[in-house]
Amino acid sequence: MHRISKLSLPVRPTLFLLIPLVLALLVACTPDNHQSTFGTAGPVAKDQADLFKFIFWISAVVFVVVEAAVIYIAIRYRRRSDSDKLPHQTHGNTKLEITWTLIPVLILAAIAVPTLTDIWAQQSHVPEDQGEVLNVEAIGHQWWFEFRYPDQEVIVSNELHIPVGRPVAFKLESQDVIHSFWVPKIAGKVDMVPLNDNYMWMIGDEVGEYYGQCAEFCGIAHAHMRFRVFVHEEEDFQAWVDGMHTAPDTPLAGSSEASGKNLFAANCSSCHTIDSTAPGSYAREISAQQARWNGWVSDIENSGIVSAPNLTHFGTHSTIGAGLKDLNKTTLEQWITDPSSIKIGTRMQKHAAVYDTDNNKAKLTASEISDIANYLLSLKPGSTPSGEVANNSASVDGESLFTTNCSSCHSTGDDTIVGPGLAGIADRAGTRVAGQSVDAYLRESIINPNAFIVDGYPAVMPGWEQLGTESIEALVTYLKTLD
Amino acid sequence: MTTKALTFPRIFPRPTATTGIWSWIGTVDHKRIGTLYGITSFIWFIVGGLEALAIRAQLSTAESELIGPETYNQLFTMHGTTMVFLVIMPLSAAFFNWLIPLQIGARDVAFPRLNALSYWIFLFGSLIINFSWLTGDAPNGGWFGYAPNSGATFNPGLGMTYWIVGLNVLGIASIAAGMNFIVTILNMRAPGMDMFKLPVFTWMTLVTSVLIVLALPILAVAGIQLQTDRIYGTHFFNSLGGGDPVMWQHIFWLFGHPEVYILILPAMGIVSEVLPTFARKPLFGYAFVIFAGIVIGFMGWFVWSHHMFTVGLGPAANTAFSVSTMLIAVPTGVKIFNWLGTLWGGSIRYNTAMLFSVSFIAMFTIGGLSGVIHASPPTDAQQQDTYFVVAHFHYVLVGGALLGIFSGIYFWWPKMTGYLLNEKLGITNWALLMIGFNIQFAPMHWLGMDGMPRRIYTYAENMGWETSNAAASVGGFILGLGVLFFMINVWYSRRNKVEAGNDPWDGRTLEWSTSSPPPPHDFDEIPQVKYRDDFWFKKYPETISEYYHDDHDQAVPSGAQDDLEHEEVTNISEGSDGHGDNHGAIHLPDMSYYPFILGVGVAGMGAGFLSNNAVLFIGVGVLVWGLLGWSMEPVNDPDPEHH
Repeated sequence: MHRISKLSLPVRPTLFLLIPLVLALLVACTPDNHQSTFGTAGPVAKDQADLFKFIFWISAVVFVVVEAAVIYIAIRYRRRSDSDKLPHQTHGNTKLEITWTLIPVLILAAIAVPTLTDIWAQQSHVPEDQGEVLNVEAIGHQWWFEFRYPDQEVIVSNELHIPVGRPVAFKLESQDVIHSFWVPKIAGKVDMVPLNDNYMWMIGDEVGEYYGQCAEFCGIAHAHMRFRVFVHEEEDFQAWVDGMHTAPDTPLAGSSEASGKNLFAANCSSCHTIDSTAPGSYAREISAQQARWNGWVSDIENSGIVSAPNLTHFGTHSTIGAGLKDLNKTTLEQWITDPSSIKIGTRMQKHAAVYDTDNNKAKLTASEISDIANYLLSLKPGSTPSGEVANNSASVDGESLFTTNCSSCHSTGDDTIVGPGLAGIADRAGTRVAGQSVDAYLRESIINPNAFIVDGYPAVMPGWEQLGTESIEALVTYLKTLD
Repeated sequence: MTTKALTFPRIFPRPTATTGIWSWIGTVDHKRIGTLYGITSFIWFIVGGLEALAIRAQLSTAESELIGPETYNQLFTMHGTTMVFLVIMPLSAAFFNWLIPLQIGARDVAFPRLNALSYWIFLFGSLIINFSWLTGDAPNGGWFGYAPNSGATFNPGLGMTYWIVGLNVLGIASIAAGMNFIVTILNMRAPGMDMFKLPVFTWMTLVTSVLIVLALPILAVAGIQLQTDRIYGTHFFNSLGGGDPVMWQHIFWLFGHPEVYILILPAMGIVSEVLPTFARKPLFGYAFVIFAGIVIGFMGWFVWSHHMFTVGLGPAANTAFSVSTMLIAVPTGVKIFNWLGTLWGGSIRYNTAMLFSVSFIAMFTIGGLSGVIHASPPTDAQQQDTYFVVAHFHYVLVGGALLGIFSGIYFWWPKMTGYLLNEKLGITNWALLMIGFNIQFAPMHWLGMDGMPRRIYTYAENMGWETSNAAASVGGFILGLGVLFFMINVWYSRRNKVEAGNDPWDGRTLEWSTSSPPPPHDFDEIPQVKYRDDFWFKKYPETISEYYHDDHDQAVPSGAQDDLEHEEVTNISEGSDGHGDNHGAIHLPDMSYYPFILGVGVAGMGAGFLSNNAVLFIGVGVLVWGLLGWSMEPVNDPDPEHH
């Protein structure tokens, strides 16, 4: 027969049964880790951590009791010899059954009470009595986060700025797949679901920088879909908002930054907006982002355009690639040269014409890449007082207006980006609508583009009436020079 | 009888081989089908395990470039899909097939050819899913296939189509098998074996089979919808076309949570057989253990949205599903306490099977407790989609289901093969598996609380996750070594056979009363059942009154012990084929190729959805051939000797 009962094997499980408990106890030891759910910096996360600890300790007691019982019984009743004496053949005990049914019910009731209280406290309403509520629309894109402040008319990517101690109410959205918005130290996650907007709130009650990460599997770059949250003192937050409305200084003629600006306009500006500082630019960026999405989704394989982070005041960012790396000249150049060396799967490499389809590298020289990097790093609130529009200087320059506002979607040659290339537009404009002059046609096309959508193009262009008559006339004049 | 049966032209003769490949292809013997299930799913277990080790290798260091995100996403998708659908479910099916007829004193399942069909469809479904590896386009949208990421817009290529077509094919197999076992358990029990004399494993099989029959059609609905979304451009879940991605989650988890109990209840059944045997005591609170299983199976339908606490269903839904989820811990606790009650006062003999079962109690408890923790939505808001959840369900599925299955393998191996598995290798297998398992999954609780999301192929160096991940990876390879020792054990024990005899463990249930391995007809005489654990009480009649003395519902049958000695074997019903047994000849259903042919037809249809309509139509043709041939083929050909 197989006599192994004398090896006193049951003792061995005791050792590694303790491992989970010991490791669980270690949990409280490293709240400093960037995404630790214990080092909380806001009431939502704190309530969640407190509730966890409450249930954890109850579970720990149950764990110890049950495992101790397993070990005790397993050792106490091991067969000591090959004696044939049978144990008592009991079939059960109804009183015991009732007891050990009721005890778990009572324990679970104790857990359920604070659970339900917290559910309703956290999910039913924004605590408006705890300060003026800041509204933010957070949008998950494959694979970066966009944050819109509708009341401040500010748009920023991958780096969320909030004031300390004030409730922030989020509307969570997604256009593509499901993402999840999560800042472990400030609040637990809520998913961003297409066609199903969600709402959550949080309060950051300690100034500082916090890590966030997408928590729902969203495709190839899911691991790299991260973001940062900066909790500021109230006045610093206001200063940041003001800065986001202050245009950067124009690069000095002939400087590396000036060259970078042109290169950026030629190669990057179809997808990345860099000047959402002016009045009206908020609405424009929203429609531009929608146009990029429509352009991508209508031709996923070959689209020359794709949803992309707004880079306004990129020089003030601290990270690159959606919270992946610290932003500096080296990482930025690496990113521009070969984004997938930092973030495999990023869409820009596939869709931007500037990337070679064969070796995936940017079709730019090292000095051109350096210029673009210098330019992007120079994008910071400039010396122009807030509220004024930098480009709106005395003489309205149609060409620079075009570069800023139109070149995301229209080339000045024959190439289609999103909308048609505009070379020779003056010749065509006069023939399109009988009895309408070239000027009138162009003016109408800018103000109310959907009036004359050219066959084969998506109806995605927003109206530009907000530019004002003077600028629109300058644009019309400029467009007529294209041939 | 002179009725002329409708006949279908036969292209080849009915199989009669008893050895060789054709004997397996034509078999309708539940034991051989069980063996096929066991071997096939064990092979997939190795595949799924290697996928897990590749995942652990990638995550063992920060910013590792061993495996890129594309392969990584394929690996975790296929690891989950494989372990759920191709390993734990069919390994449980292997036990159902082998044991149910033996435990209820029957000669086969109710529908032997349907049983064979289940296996062939399972095999072909598993091959369809895994064939994707050879094309390099393996599924990469997660075993949960969340829309719209699993749709054609965001996931072009054939990868997720392999996945959904494969799952749809596998679902057919599961539903057919579930039906078969429900009918078998309800209708084929030996005389005298009423429902409350059934072995607990049989009971858990019944509950599981009911869950399968109710849950898998739900997956089939979602699966067919996703399949048409991907192949024909419908918009059930495609948000770009106005479809609802949240609906996918509801349907998937409405299947998916009962599925969790489909995975764990058979293991609970196994443990409920092993513990009493080696404690030499009856199961404590038999009725309560069974009732708890039924309650789990029932309540399992009301908890699915706890997978969706962060989807934004609102506080009312989260409250309801939180409370229902906590409540399901109660019957689970009842089971654990009854197992402890079974051991209490016993005379416990430890061998590998018993060590696995006792470990099951210890490990499953941990999985249950972490489940209670994230049954609380505010807490779950931090844990959802993190490694905490990974730790939780591996404690349930490895610490629960897999330990139970290993216990069952060591326990019933001698019955199935006639020889014992080596104990020293067995204990090494157990020890390595337990040590590796805990080193691998315990730190994941911590990783989750430290903010590490699931399904990320890499992580930055400054997150503080490296030590725990390195430990988990080491643990994974130790666990793998444990499984390797199991294979060595099988190889060694086959070469150095130690005869087991009919009843090596002093067993309690009917399967131990027949020879090891059992004859094709299972029992020379259909047993007459009088008691729970009937075989035990036949061996130890002096314990009958001890067991029944204080049971008011069931008085000790008067003169029971005398009856046992003089029971006449008469009027034994023979189940589905209607043949009596009165003349001594035992009629078993004849072998048939049609289950295989029908299975090929289903597989051909699946392949057609993945290639082109010509293949699809060929599949339909084979399917129709199989159906017609099957329906016109008598269960038994006329016995030539009688004509």
